[in-house]
Amino acid sequence: MTELVVIGAGLAGLIAATRAAQAGHQVKIIAKGLGATHWHAGSVDLLGYFPNETVAIQRPLDAMRDIARVQPQHPYALLGDAQIGDALKNFLALARAIGLPYSGANQDGDNLWLPSPVGAARPTFLAPRAQRAGELSRTEPMLIVGLRGMRDFYPELIAENLGKQGHRARAAFLPLDLITDRRDITTVQLAYALDDPARREKFASELKKLAQSGERIGLPAILGMDAHADTFDELQAQTGAEIFEIPTLPPSVPGIRLTNALRNHLRELGARVDVNMDVIAFHAEGARVLWIESEASGRPLKHRAEKFLLATGGIIGGGINTDHTGKIWETIFGLPLVAPRERGQWFRARFFDPAGHPIFRAGIPVNREFQPIDANGARVFANVWAAGGTLAHCDPILERALEGIAITTGSAAACFAGRK
Amino acid sequence: MKFIETQILVIGGGATGTGIAWDAALRGLRVVLVEKRDLTHGTTGRYHGLLHSGGRYVVKDPHSASECIAENRILRKTHAHCIEDTGGFFVATPEDDGDYPDQFRAACQHIGIPCEEISIAHARKREPLMNPRAARVFGVPDGAADSFQATHSTAQAARQAGARILNYHEVTQLLRDGDQRVVGARVRDVARGEDIEIRAPMTINAAGAWAGLIAQTAGLRVDVIPGKGAMLAVNHRIVNTVLNRCKMPDDGDIIVPIHTVAVLGTTDERVADPEHLTIEPWEIELLLREGDQLVPGISRARFVRAWAGVRPLYQEHYNGASRDATRDLTLLDHHARDGVAGLLTILGGKWTTFRLMAEITLNKACEYLGAQKPCITAHTVVPGVEHGHYWLGHRLHEVEENHLQSELICECELVTRAMLENAARQHPTFSLDDLRRDVRLGMGPCQGGFCTYRAAGILQSLVVSQQSSVSSEQSSVNSAAEEWNVAEMQSPAHNLQPPTSNLPLPISNSPNLLLRDFLQERWKGLLPILWGRQLKQERLDELIYLGLMNAPHLPDAHATSAMSEFYARPGIAATADADAGGAQ
Repeated sequence: MTELVVIGAGLAGLIAATRAAQAGHQVKIIAKGLGATHWHAGSVDLLGYFPNETVAIQRPLDAMRDIARVQPQHPYALLGDAQIGDALKNFLALARAIGLPYSGANQDGDNLWLPSPVGAARPTFLAPRAQRAGELSRTEPMLIVGLRGMRDFYPELIAENLGKQGHRARAAFLPLDLITDRRDITTVQLAYALDDPARREKFASELKKLAQSGERIGLPAILGMDAHADTFDELQAQTGAEIFEIPTLPPSVPGIRLTNALRNHLRELGARVDVNMDVIAFHAEGARVLWIESEASGRPLKHRAEKFLLATGGIIGGGINTDHTGKIWETIFGLPLVAPRERGQWFRARFFDPAGHPIFRAGIPVNREFQPIDANGARVFANVWAAGGTLAHCDPILERALEGIAITTGSAAACFAGRK
Repeated sequence: MKFIETQILVIGGGATGTGIAWDAALRGLRVVLVEKRDLTHGTTGRYHGLLHSGGRYVVKDPHSASECIAENRILRKTHAHCIEDTGGFFVATPEDDGDYPDQFRAACQHIGIPCEEISIAHARKREPLMNPRAARVFGVPDGAADSFQATHSTAQAARQAGARILNYHEVTQLLRDGDQRVVGARVRDVARGEDIEIRAPMTINAAGAWAGLIAQTAGLRVDVIPGKGAMLAVNHRIVNTVLNRCKMPDDGDIIVPIHTVAVLGTTDERVADPEHLTIEPWEIELLLREGDQLVPGISRARFVRAWAGVRPLYQEHYNGASRDATRDLTLLDHHARDGVAGLLTILGGKWTTFRLMAEITLNKACEYLGAQKPCITAHTVVPGVEHGHYWLGHRLHEVEENHLQSELICECELVTRAMLENAARQHPTFSLDDLRRDVRLGMGPCQGGFCTYRAAGILQSLVVSQQSSVSSEQSSVNSAAEEWNVAEMQSPAHNLQPPTSNLPLPISNSPNLLLRDFLQERWKGLLPILWGRQLKQERLDELIYLGLMNAPHLPDAHATSAMSEFYARPGIAATADADAGGAQ
């Protein structure tokens, strides 16, 4: 029998399942869809801003200690230094093992600043190898190269904004048909096209003509999908320049690479990942959940397990839903939520209000072992854990902590579940 | 200061003002129109899009109803491409007054509005989601009107006939010559920050809900009754026929299918200020509750937007509720009324009667100007009619025929890159919202999530390419406007080429400001209806602009445009800001 069913195949779910499988447990992931990693930049944001602060955080590990003082229920406060450090170390080792090495700033513990697709500086903590050379603390001039006609990447806009922030940057274009003859072009198709050695050789030779000596080259994050490492290495070798990827509008190729690599790794560890499974019911006796049921053709499918780990994402992942009456609910087990009382308190008038919109801090309250609790602090089920964007008391997007919350809480929740 | 001399100065770039400019130009008069924001930015662009058959007012306001049916027939010819012949149902639900349907049918007959009672079974065949408990259903010739395109087409017709149309030109002061005459207006060119004096023997105040404020600058009192109405858009066409409740007009009693959405309307609340567009929570609740009477379960549909417009109602010495004020049109002749010559104010009416309002106003103006020119707008079609009514399916067909899939900048509304580029070249663009009204950018379910960034990037590209190609032969914006067919702007197939002419790009804002303004503008209309799937969608948009882009921390973070303050006003009265001591 399955020991642990993880619900959700986003980063939190994948990390949780991997840790459990590494510890030798029988694990299965069932998920309705894929996680926010598919949309985001593919880097690991740990902590970039405090709510209501417009100045970015330089040293996130230090800043987490401040969070623990001010917001004792924040997931980072529940975790503490040791567990966060352990989860990040584990992630770095895992990423290396699956062929997608990540790294942080030279001074250990600092945030990195990387160019965003609009040319703003975005704080992140760990970057995939292909994004590292974009670091804005470096002074070498940047050549941002786009593909003429590609709708999800605008080098002139990036160069203009980088220039306004004091970085030396210029924009250039290459024709799109160097890479593809297709008419319906997405970032994913472009990445797969560059997996073809012939195409990337043609691309590299044109790219080489554009770059001046001493320039590092920024490209949209489409440098290969399955053959990413080869694509990246060959482009650097053939152009003789340092190259970096800048994330694009979704879908995110770096995010998909990470998801794919983690799923492959899970398969190697003997864990199943079943997507397109919408959980529609569960059955509990006493304080234990015995099984959950997913929608399937024919009749619903029962999944029995000793333990269940919820990694369904918050509002964006579908783990939390809302309606026009102001009702808000957890979609799998109907767990108690922490949320603003009425719809009138969900939002602020300004989209970019640095305080964030209160509804996006709504989520499942958990104890220090990441088990959902009720308003009195009592554990709801003896065999349910929760992790990632579905947790209360933080807004992972506003705090630029999306992957950090997923990795650290996913890792910790799996460890706690494994101990019981 | 710049001076302009003309025969007629029109204030207001809504349906009525543009209609007046068109009518005046066709009569051979020299005319200048000024609008403080973009054309249709006021009430014209903020209504549900109903082309009235007159059925709605047939019992309560029969005079208005007979004007509606006459104009309905005219506009179906003069503005054929802007009108979709959806037809309309008047539906009596069990909760409605049982006597009204018979009164309704008799009144329609009396006025000459085609009205046919149809069986519930037949009505449900056409509209399966209609309340199955409906007691009676009547069919009338209601329609759906694209008020953006209709006004743009009217404006183009006016320009072709010689009118000058100046948007982002705000009247600061009517000019008076002594006590007894208005001789034009002082106007602020918002984009350039210049003042202009426009002199004319006849000034026409067609500022709608703002007309009282305009009159005030000449010391004249016009008590407009601003009646705010809120509306909600469902993310798809949940009905294909206009559905009205068969009862006295009341809040939340109509659903209009228009383009890709269905609009639930409306509330009616008398407000003090024509710019008071903030929606109250009770308005949303009421619209959902009443909507369920027409289409049970509509309250659980996905909504993509809410907005409010302010009706420019007028009734001399009126103190009641705006719901009960007449919808009739009123022409104020300030010479007869106040002893001040050279000024007419046109108020009331419906979008459906804009042409008639223009005709009546111009007839009076011609009397004063001594110009005996007949009105010909009822028999003159505007440019674009030849293209027929345009809907999303046309765009899809053209995108597929021409393999434009990778050119789509807004996948929701199928807007291509060249459509956007051409619109930006042809139309002074101060905000992406202006382009939205031109090509429907950002009007679909993602509400600007993907296209805002792309549009900012593309406009930045246009600026860069313009800087690098110094052109010697720069034609003026106005001459290009004459060549520009606004109906073609809707069509991907008519925009296969990027703009070739080297028009000066009339974009004054930084791309970062364009991006920030548009995201805030979209947010304003999302706030009242964010729950369920649309809230999930919005969270994705946050992920893109906060997480992926860090857009709040772009350079020029504090720059503002002429529209920024307007967009920053809360979309709904209840927000979390109230806790911290008021909005902002």
